[in-house]
Amino acid sequence: MTPLERRCRWLLRAYPAWYRRDRAGEMLGTLLEASGPGQSWPSLRDARALVTGGLRVRGWTWSLSMLWVAAGTVGTGYDFYITTKPYTWADVSLGIEGWSTDPEAVRIAVVLATAASLALPIPALIAGFIRLRGWRLRGWPRIAAWAGAWIAGFALMYQAEIWGNYPANCPAIGGPQNCPAIGSPAVVSWGEMGICAAWLVLGAVLTWILAVPAHPPRTWR
Amino acid sequence: MREPTYFVLASLLDGPLHGYAIIQRTEELSGGRVRLATGTLYTALDRLAAEGHVELVREEIVNGRVRRSYGLTPHGAGALRAEAARMAEAARLVTDRGRDLKAGGPTRKTSPA
Repeated sequence: MTPLERRCRWLLRAYPAWYRRDRAGEMLGTLLEASGPGQSWPSLRDARALVTGGLRVRGWTWSLSMLWVAAGTVGTGYDFYITTKPYTWADVSLGIEGWSTDPEAVRIAVVLATAASLALPIPALIAGFIRLRGWRLRGWPRIAAWAGAWIAGFALMYQAEIWGNYPANCPAIGGPQNCPAIGSPAVVSWGEMGICAAWLVLGAVLTWILAVPAHPPRTWR
Repeated sequence: MREPTYFVLASLLDGPLHGYAIIQRTEELSGGRVRLATGTLYTALDRLAAEGHVELVREEIVNGRVRRSYGLTPHGAGALRAEAARMAEAARLVTDRGRDLKAGGPTRKTSPA
């Protein structure tokens, strides 16, 4: 397998598995034929078209759900990032540890991820159920998983509010177990770790649920 | 109908073609203006097949990979002809007034002051 073929195969993973089973070999042949001699990377134009084509086939419900999961993952990733820095008095007044010394880029990423994770659940939930209408009754495990994943997701968001942020007066009262001392590195509580793990599970579940085509796939055979 | 779709359908007028041949023929017919990326071509083929404009005609194995050839359906040929007629009609609006254009614009009657 040439490096070009390997990279093209990797790009074709933008398409869902059910689509790749039918079309990947044919598309790969066309990609290789359309490439120039000695070319070892797909062109930027081809790469962009494959990614947008893959997203189109997966559907906007999938994209919206994955964006939500990605936003949640950024948020939980931030929980681990802040363990590398000491807890300061400035953080106490903000209620978010590490925030006062975070680089601008990190703050922007966290604000965007927070905004997305708050804004997307309802649209993604509605979009998912609209799409579920196209499924037959025999797809009930996926429907149940979809509903279950969302109940779990909302429960996590509620818990994240409790576990994710330290109380503003945490050091003053010597308070809950997860309060770090001023100047010591922040810690990630078991609850926060649970949330991180749950986000990954939730993402996998949503991916599995939405991996089937919204409508019966048209086959070329 | 968008220009790439028009040229994809037009490329199949002379008979069925496989993916890469459609890309080549489309570029040739459009004078190099429409250069389809592979992903764009298959998105277009999926849509055109769903609309009944193209169909799978032949399937063969080349270098261990499936190669499919697509052909124009009667419905697709009709849609292509209708689009060509519409564009010709639109072009006629301008070409029929060629003399005006050559003279530097339409002649206007000016009222005496």
